[in-house]
Amino acid sequence: MSTNYIIENLKREIDNFSSQIKAEKIGHVLEVFDGIAKVSGLSLIKSSEMVTFPNGEIGVALNLEEDTIGVIILDDFSKIKEGDEVKATGKILEVPVSDNIIGRVVNALGVEIDGKGTIKADKTYPIEKVAPGVITRLSVSEPVSTGVKVIDSIIPIGRGQRELIIGDRQTGKTAIAIDTILNQKGQNMICVYVSIGQKDSKLRKIQTRLEKGGTMAYTIIVSAGSSEPAPLSYIAPYTGVSIAEYFMDQGKDVLIIYDDLSKHAIAYREISLLLRRPPGREAFPGDVFYLHSRLLERACRRNKEYGGGSITALPIVETQAGDVTAYIPTNVISITDGQIFLETDLFYKGIRPAVNVGLSVSRVGSNAQIKAMKKVAGTLKLDLAQYRELEAFSQFGSDLDNATKQQLERGKRAVEVLKQPQYAPMVVERQVVVLYALVKGYMDDISIDKIKEFEEGLINYTENNAKKFYKEVLETKTWSEKSEEELKKAIGDFKNNFLKS
Amino acid sequence: MTTLSNNDIAHAIYLVSKDKTNSELHDVNDKVIKFLARRRLLSKTKDILERLNKIINHDNGKIVVKVLSARKLKESPRKELVHFLKERYKAKKIVLVEVLDEKSLGGIRIEVNDEIIDLTAKNKIKKLQEHLTRKI
Repeated sequence: MSTNYIIENLKREIDNFSSQIKAEKIGHVLEVFDGIAKVSGLSLIKSSEMVTFPNGEIGVALNLEEDTIGVIILDDFSKIKEGDEVKATGKILEVPVSDNIIGRVVNALGVEIDGKGTIKADKTYPIEKVAPGVITRLSVSEPVSTGVKVIDSIIPIGRGQRELIIGDRQTGKTAIAIDTILNQKGQNMICVYVSIGQKDSKLRKIQTRLEKGGTMAYTIIVSAGSSEPAPLSYIAPYTGVSIAEYFMDQGKDVLIIYDDLSKHAIAYREISLLLRRPPGREAFPGDVFYLHSRLLERACRRNKEYGGGSITALPIVETQAGDVTAYIPTNVISITDGQIFLETDLFYKGIRPAVNVGLSVSRVGSNAQIKAMKKVAGTLKLDLAQYRELEAFSQFGSDLDNATKQQLERGKRAVEVLKQPQYAPMVVERQVVVLYALVKGYMDDISIDKIKEFEEGLINYTENNAKKFYKEVLETKTWSEKSEEELKKAIGDFKNNFLKS
Repeated sequence: MTTLSNNDIAHAIYLVSKDKTNSELHDVNDKVIKFLARRRLLSKTKDILERLNKIINHDNGKIVVKVLSARKLKESPRKELVHFLKERYKAKKIVLVEVLDEKSLGGIRIEVNDEIIDLTAKNKIKKLQEHLTRKI
């Protein structure tokens, strides 16, 4: 590159440059502390308007008082001094969005942090947006296949639904979310994983796992780590959902995971208390419900006239010692369309995923379940409910009649079948076959420790010997009597061989 | 008890002392000082007076404008500037506070309340720097 070339380029750039004269609104920093700045002046600023500091730091005006405003600083605040000039921008905070963002890791401002170079973006989306109205929406009717048997059969999730994953620490909440992302391969779904206040080591682990599973071709990670200031944790989920909305506006289906909203609420509490807003229950501010409801309400399924597309939200909430009656869990439970409740006791009993089937519900998802799954899941639910009832009862007496005994045995097998290792999502056709064998009683005389082996063998055998059934479920989402006969024969044959060996 | 802001006090002082004769004003001033002393607000008098000044200016259509320039303004541009400011802010009277700042290199910078119009060469160079070093 010659010097002349550089000079010519510079000349051209300078020729193209034109500075516009405009009146700017300014204020002055009165004090700075813990990611918060008090600023005087800026009398006509809007709520949540973006402001800039001299070194290019970005802030958001949250508190508008009589003659000062409270600003949260979304950058390193150590260089901001008292008396610095603060400029209002007249815009609310925006994040850059483009198709190039897929497969990348970005921070809460949409800037890459994975070291793979800047993300070219020609558009920006505001992070705060009013959720789509009733007229633009469509009811939930298409399934999100999570690949987890217990969820797909008993607590099904539909596209556009908001399903809470709730449980104590170390009960496999993130594992369910990651399994769901892994299972979206070829399901025409874009995934956004928003990590809020997580350890960077955990995020790295998840990123590696997702890369290994080949899921980064349709996944975006938005991260606000625990070492970053609270304002970034506060805006990260809104950034995530804005990115999701960009893809939904193209008519695509998006799955967004917020991991986790309890840390989000804690970050917001920190900001609110520093801004001297009055504390309420558990020291959270009064508008913590609105904080989450306006976020989760942006998950939706739009009808064709308004461009189609959907955002399915899987928020995660961490409870303390299984207490679901704490403030944040009750709030989020009431906002979402159901919850998957994970329990420590079950986890240590070896029932993994540790889903408590009795307390978990899906309020709208059953409409989205495919017909084939519906046929087997109905009986399964009943089997499990009866099992739970009898399990407690049977501990008192040893003399049980045959029918009760049989129900207990069936329940035990159902629990066994619903166990599933991590990172091993199962496609829905296979799930249907396994659950069919269970609810029709084919597993009743297999001993419990052989169930897993039986299940694996059954899938292998039927995939080769009941091809029609698989094909039919995949294409028509249900089965005909003819292919059911084929499946019955295949299961019977396999079972005979299995019992002999 | 709700707290009184300095702005509220200044506004109240303005309202009671408006349209009063000199002797009445004396009485009002006395009462104001006593009130401030009783509420232990004497330390805030500086701020209250500043606000009072702003309120009076606002009511009289008077605007204080800070003009920053590298060299002293000549008579004709100053007149033009006053005319422009009167139009823009719909003010009856403009008070110019001129500040010399050689670092601004050229042009002027106008500050009115919390609005600034920066026409200095320094600002333009800064904008050019931002333009040339922007991320593409």
